[in-house]
Amino acid sequence: MGVNYKAVQWNRQKKNYDVVLWMIIGGIVLLFSSLQLVIHPEITAETLIIRTSALTAFVLLHLILMIGPLARLDTRFLPLLYNRRHLGVSMFLIALIHGAFSIIQFHALGDVNPIVSVFTSNPNYQSISEFPFQILGFIALLILFLMAATSHDFWLKNLSPEIWKGLHMGVYLAYGLVIAHVATGALQYENHPVYWGILFVGFTAVATLHIFASIKENKVLTALKTNAVNEGFVEVLNVESIPISGAKAVFIHNQNIAIFRYLNRISAVHNVCKHQMGPLGEGEIVDGCITCPWHGYQYIPENGRAPEPFIEKLHTYSVKVIDGKVWVNPTPKPEGTYVEPAILEQQ
Amino acid sequence: MEGLIQVIVQIWLIYTVIGIVFSMLFFKFGLVTVDESAENTTWKFKLLISPGMLIFWPLFALKWKRSGS
Ligand code: HEM
Ligand code: FES
Repeated sequence: MGVNYKAVQWNRQKKNYDVVLWMIIGGIVLLFSSLQLVIHPEITAETLIIRTSALTAFVLLHLILMIGPLARLDTRFLPLLYNRRHLGVSMFLIALIHGAFSIIQFHALGDVNPIVSVFTSNPNYQSISEFPFQILGFIALLILFLMAATSHDFWLKNLSPEIWKGLHMGVYLAYGLVIAHVATGALQYENHPVYWGILFVGFTAVATLHIFASIKENKVLTALKTNAVNEGFVEVLNVESIPISGAKAVFIHNQNIAIFRYLNRISAVHNVCKHQMGPLGEGEIVDGCITCPWHGYQYIPENGRAPEPFIEKLHTYSVKVIDGKVWVNPTPKPEGTYVEPAILEQQ
Repeated sequence: MEGLIQVIVQIWLIYTVIGIVFSMLFFKFGLVTVDESAENTTWKFKLLISPGMLIFWPLFALKWKRSGS
């Protein structure tokens, strides 16, 4: 079943994406390192690496967070979403350079384990201006690691989409921690208002885009729902509550309806088998057909017809999926009528 | 405080070492039983998923056991 995993499913678009991505990263690195060299001509190589990688990762993190809402606001930004995974992993690797060099520079010279030292070398947990900001960075880096390490499709499948998604929502936590890391760390001694201004602008941009995107999405959803109600649809259940290649039965407006989920689609048919009234909704999809749990009669989900040469036909129902919920129109279509299945969004 | 953190870091280290040993055995004998899409995959694929293995290896130990081998 399915296609075997590849390390990376390269194609021309992904290659182009990565070429552009690394040109941008190169540009940012060049810009920041020359700025550092101009502002602090006496800077050491280690400090230069620590700061340049920090700032580059920080900028990339902002880009990553802005891409999602941008693409929702305007489809022209969709190409940016195309290989966001590689953007995320690249950002993690650059942040790792920053973290590793910081630990080597500040925590590896004593006889305490360097990682233990991140947590203990500065016990001023009560203070703000001398808060051990490295810990915040460390936890953020751990979260980014978890996300980068699980970015392959293998993980989406093996951790389950719910857990995977939850894990990857961690980017917001990591972002908050990084903001705090910068505010309680670097900004306590590089105390120029310009730096605070940049931090504020970045945060505001990310927040505003998210707010606008969610307002727009709400508007679209409200319109879709109003439309559905006007067309006689009723919201019945969560897509996620239907087992894959299985069904759930619902009883609305005196109609007994089985809603099937298969191949990223949703179809609905009358829940009563033509043979001896078996409950089709307790059956499964076998070889692409609804299969009755009692004696195995089969029906094609889209049109409710038994495959040739059989002649049984079921009533079908129109379905929609809005925001992860299945809506069904409880007015039955004549038996055997083809109904366009609702397509589920890919992860 | 320092003692506690030391212990946590030590435990993490041991956890990771077990994870490395487990992953090597698992890639050789268990991966395909747990996830058939991993059949005929390259070492590059395995390398790519190994960092995550060092965190999530107990999950795969469980899956491997359940798959009955
Ligand atoms: C192990 C984890 C981390 C440690 C030990 C750490 C340590 C440090 C240190 C010591 C500084 C001050 C450097 C200096 O100005 O000389 C710093 C600054 C900074 N860190 Fe981290 N950090 C970690 C993780 C992160 C992560 C994950 C990010 C996110 C992208 C990040 C972003 C920054 C930024 C933007 C600065 C300000 C850069 C500047 O000084 O110009 N750090 N960090
Ligand atoms: S009742 Fe459905 S196959 Fe017999």
